[in-house]
Amino acid sequence: MAKVTLTNVTKRYGDVVAVNNANLEIKDKEFLILVGPSGCGKTTTLRMVAGLEEITEGTIEIGDTVVNDIPPKDRDIAMVFQNYALYPHMDVYNNMAFGLKLRKFPKEEIDRRVNEAAEILGIKNLLDRKPKQLSGGQRQRVALGRAIVREPKVFLMDEPLSNLDAKLRVQMRTELSKLHDRLQTTMIYVTHDQVEAMTMGDRIVVMRDGLIQQVDTPLNLYNNPVNMFVAGFIGSPAMNFLDAKLVKEGETYYLEGNGDFKIAIPADKVAKNPEIKSYVGKDVVFGIRPEDLEDASVVEKTVTADNSYMATVEVVEPMGSEIYLYLTVNEHSMIARVDSHSTAKVGDNVKLYVKTENLHVFDPETELTII
Amino acid sequence: MPLTLKDIARMAGVAESTVSRAINNKPGVGEETRKRILEIVRKYNYQPNQLARGLAIKETRMLALIVADLSSADYKIIKSIEAYANEQGYNCLICNTDNNLEKEEAYLQLLSNQRVDGAIIIGGELANKNIINTALNKNGLMVLVNCLAEELLIPTILVDSARGGYLATSHLLQQGLKKIAIVTGSSKDFLESEKLAGYLQALADHNLELEERYILETDGSREGGYDAFLQLLEQGDLPEAFFVTRDILAVGLIDAIKMGGYLIPEDFSIVGYGESFISSIINPSLTVVAEPLEELGRYAAKYMIDLLNGRDPEEMIKVLEPVLKVGESSVLRTG
Repeated sequence: MAKVTLTNVTKRYGDVVAVNNANLEIKDKEFLILVGPSGCGKTTTLRMVAGLEEITEGTIEIGDTVVNDIPPKDRDIAMVFQNYALYPHMDVYNNMAFGLKLRKFPKEEIDRRVNEAAEILGIKNLLDRKPKQLSGGQRQRVALGRAIVREPKVFLMDEPLSNLDAKLRVQMRTELSKLHDRLQTTMIYVTHDQVEAMTMGDRIVVMRDGLIQQVDTPLNLYNNPVNMFVAGFIGSPAMNFLDAKLVKEGETYYLEGNGDFKIAIPADKVAKNPEIKSYVGKDVVFGIRPEDLEDASVVEKTVTADNSYMATVEVVEPMGSEIYLYLTVNEHSMIARVDSHSTAKVGDNVKLYVKTENLHVFDPETELTII
Repeated sequence: MPLTLKDIARMAGVAESTVSRAINNKPGVGEETRKRILEIVRKYNYQPNQLARGLAIKETRMLALIVADLSSADYKIIKSIEAYANEQGYNCLICNTDNNLEKEEAYLQLLSNQRVDGAIIIGGELANKNIINTALNKNGLMVLVNCLAEELLIPTILVDSARGGYLATSHLLQQGLKKIAIVTGSSKDFLESEKLAGYLQALADHNLELEERYILETDGSREGGYDAFLQLLEQGDLPEAFFVTRDILAVGLIDAIKMGGYLIPEDFSIVGYGESFISSIINPSLTVVAEPLEELGRYAAKYMIDLLNGRDPEEMIKVLEPVLKVGESSVLRTG
């Protein structure tokens, strides 16, 4: 058990900066997720913590020890990747134990650790089975067991579930979260899948082009993204972005979209983010999540010109409990996740109700959040 | 000076490209011309310059065999890999690391710098940072031989040592012997513990109870083997047979047995491990568990060449079984 601290950590490969001045404090016992698109630097960050990659600049501490020059085997970490080797001639016990045996641990200690890990993973009854007698989920547990028996201070996981089919992946997500609760050990987990990130982590680090964009709890990332990248990356379907101009009429600030919409920004949001006032007359980006757009005909709210606009339905995707509407307003296209009672059909002109309390406004130049 | 493509072209009266096509069995060369060219190639024992060829097709046709410790067993594996690789048009570079991580890293850089097409890692027990990192960064193709990886799946060929222990013990049990002792090296040695596991499994499969006093752990030396026998002699409860997990241990044990005036196999049957030079000079000829080292080498080379040709190996982890080679030390002749 240990905290992990990255201070001004940079990794360069020649001229390419893979990780740029990363600062991060991972708390003891925390389940931290590194997420971002391919090439964002998340795996490189994990490997630097593991000691597989050397750090170009900065320091990494595990506990209170700077580990920059400590080899991986002495860092008290265990790694789990998607492709792991289960040796077909060894039973589950030995597949979990061989690393300890090769490190010359005493037999009694190996026994204790393997049995404890098997107990935690619920595979105690499988210890004498060979890998070919196991299901996909059981195999994955053996691979986790191999990491657990090392009793590391920190677990490092790089997309460990990406080889599993969708159903098993969902199941293993839950199991990994439970495992973290039981082990009470710091876990750093890399994924490109924002759903995995949202459902598993205590906190999430969103990365892009080697830079940490935001570190926060899943809900805070969702509700208060710091920029358009985080806003667009977290949430599925992704947030809609519409070009708009900020106008002020009386005391009210509006997001006006080329005559297509004119949405009033709630006064309390303006009060909380007074910076918005300096954007009057300027271009901004109006951000709204699909779940914050509703078919006005089925909503039990007061629909006015200030919180709605008309759009044309291009595609209707019934999902059962809800319907995805793919819509356009002139050149703007967007997705709305509406109530299943909506009767909107392709080609219809529907009125969309905007949950204005959840709208976002971004600076189109810096892409930073204004509201 | 070695013959070049140009020389052959001149002798055969054709263009260099025609010679190249003929040698590489490519179409576009008349049968007569091909015959004439190949005749010159044979006559002058022409060897294409692999480096030049590699430069032309961005291959080096060279494999690095990275050996943790050049032991006699590895020597057989290396020869077998080289033979297969040569047949397939690859040369081998033998790199001995002496279990030194820095040397290993330097040799693996041959792979990441594309100075070799692939690396076969032989021995070393557990894949370390250098190997894992090379695999993770997809810095080149690797095959592991008798080396396990905790974190990652890398194509691997192994011998099942536990199976060897099982075969040795079962063979003695089949001779009607029930009191079988095992003389091993340190139980902290992974392969020794595997052989012991095989021994225990064979006893269990024959419903025989484990006799702790018949498990003799030693330091793996000749003296260790000698002392193991003396220890049993002092206990006064001698077994009928021995499974000895190392050749040099067997030498010591057999010394002690002979010094005691006992006969092999009349008084004690013995099975050793490893078809080595040492095993081969023991008298009477030693029954041994022989590891299929040549097959191991052949598979390793085949896996590597499959990978180089963009094919997945037939199994990502291939486990080969040792075989028992029966000599005079374990079977009592009748009549």
